[in-house]
Amino acid sequence: MKLLLIEDEKELAESIKNYLTGNSFVCEWVNNAMAAIDKISTYEYDCILLDLMLPDGNGFEILKELKRQNKTEGVIIISAKETLESKIEGLQLGADDYLTKPFHLSELLVRIQALIRRKNFKGNNLVAYNELEIDILSKTVKVNSRKIDITKKEIDLLLYLIGNENKVLSKSAIAEHLSGDMADMLDNHDFVYAHIKNLKNKLKDAGCSDYIKTVYGLGYKWQHD
Amino acid sequence: MTKKLLHKTSNAYLIFAVLVLVVSAPLFYFITEKLYIDDADEALILRKNEFLQFHSSTLTEKDIPIWNKFNRDIKIKEPQSISGDTFFYTYYYDSLGQENEPYRELNFPIIIEGKPYTYSARINLVETEDLIKSIALLFFIILLLLLLGLFIINKRLSQNLWKPFYETLRQIEQFEIDKSNQPKLTETNIEEFNRLNQSIEKLIERNTTIYHSQREFIENAAHELQTPLAVFQAKIDTLIQSGEFTEQQNQILSSLNDSVSRLNRLNKNLLLLSKIENDNYSEKQSISLNKLIEKHLEFFIEQSRAKNISIKTELSEPVIVNANPVLAEILISNLFLNAIRHNVANGRVEVTLTKQSITFSNTGNNKPLAADKLFTRFSKSNPSEQGNGLGLAIVKKIADLNKWKVKYSFEANLHTFSVML
Repeated sequence: MKLLLIEDEKELAESIKNYLTGNSFVCEWVNNAMAAIDKISTYEYDCILLDLMLPDGNGFEILKELKRQNKTEGVIIISAKETLESKIEGLQLGADDYLTKPFHLSELLVRIQALIRRKNFKGNNLVAYNELEIDILSKTVKVNSRKIDITKKEIDLLLYLIGNENKVLSKSAIAEHLSGDMADMLDNHDFVYAHIKNLKNKLKDAGCSDYIKTVYGLGYKWQHD
Repeated sequence: MTKKLLHKTSNAYLIFAVLVLVVSAPLFYFITEKLYIDDADEALILRKNEFLQFHSSTLTEKDIPIWNKFNRDIKIKEPQSISGDTFFYTYYYDSLGQENEPYRELNFPIIIEGKPYTYSARINLVETEDLIKSIALLFFIILLLLLLGLFIINKRLSQNLWKPFYETLRQIEQFEIDKSNQPKLTETNIEEFNRLNQSIEKLIERNTTIYHSQREFIENAAHELQTPLAVFQAKIDTLIQSGEFTEQQNQILSSLNDSVSRLNRLNKNLLLLSKIENDNYSEKQSISLNKLIEKHLEFFIEQSRAKNISIKTELSEPVIVNANPVLAEILISNLFLNAIRHNVANGRVEVTLTKQSITFSNTGNNKPLAADKLFTRFSKSNPSEQGNGLGLAIVKKIADLNKWKVKYSFEANLHTFSVML
């Protein structure tokens, strides 16, 4: 999968690149609007990560340029700006998602995956992992082709864990992912433990291998032994 | 007790007027009476002189009964042991009016045909009671006129003279520094009021400027912090992946992670406050509070599980408000999370929604909180707690924006926060 990262903050860009590259992505990075327009005119990407505030212009201009060129790449805006207007404007101009800085890299990764899934497999939203099969649209999970009883939250958690395979996920990152818009108000992340425990038990009872590893003192990790 | 300025002055006038009238009423009475008596005495002397001049030389002893018969007020009486003019008060029974009438009488010894007699002349006086009554009535009327006059004058004064003052007062009362309704103080033809208006305008202008620059500062600071925070967050996320750590190192990383999360929340809440102040959420629509609470109930139940808190909701009647949907959600979430956060293990949270109010009651510390500081920024009842001290300030801001009232009370060991809709 090919990604274009348009971000003027070098340190942040490096971290994003670093994190995504480990998950079967090829990530190209540009730090200004001019170079970005150059790239998108020449190459095709699966997903574009766009910062709105660039040294030589506004990220919205790039969105307009994409539209002008009839490009269908999925765009995720990553911005420190968090006004409702900029969100709405971005989405109206053709962006698919909006992530406010600061964010967890794990969150960015699952958003990219979700976007690519939506773009590429129109309607066929299946995620498979060995004996596991998740249908995102019908919200069902099968282990060895047998449906298991699972809540929406647990499916969300499962997708998040699988999406960040082999990455250590801190408790606060998981908590923020699960609580969505409420994350800004939440200061207690203890509920993560209960969710992980429930999910683990359900998978185990269905005969699924134990992929969820505990990283002591820090968080959890989805890993195939 | 405070009174209106005009009441104060009119009260002073009034007290003075009453005092003067009360003191002058008896004085007036005595002076009137003295003048009256003097006049009566003068008349009596005049009559005596007339008698001496025209009648005493011609009067014979035989005439006395006839004289007495036809003269009502001048009698010739048996001699008394008086040497000269003797004035005194006396009463005579009036058989027609059936009451005692007061009289001023002058007795004077005379000689008629060599025999001593007493000349007695009298003048009917106004009854003292009548005099006092009429004076009291007179003074009462004067007092009434004074009061009426004072009232009318004051009203006129307040309408005209003090009009600019009250106008200024009204403008300042409506002024809110966080709203853009600068008071427009009109020029008057009274120097003092003009000076007052100018000073107020200067004061308001300076404060507004300071307020705006401070608000801008908070907003800019929060914005500028976002990028380094994003880098910080990303670097920690990257560091976590970079290899095997000992459990102790993991704990350090976790604590760093929590801190950056906390900073992040703090920053976002500061930004939110700035945005509310900048009217970024002015768009309103009809919102069902029942639906809003029900929508997130599962999330709150999930949050309450760690402390085994029971949540009871009473959402009997549908309540629709006109508010900004984002802010309404934040208000409810903040109050809900607040009730969970400051709760005790196995405690409870009760949410009651009525047409008049939405109320969150929770068990917790068995002491009431300092209600006056609760809703100010960064005032935390317990400094060790994780909350960032902005939650209730945000609640207050949102309530203010919608002209709702937030109240805190502590009853039956329950902390209760109510928003009066």
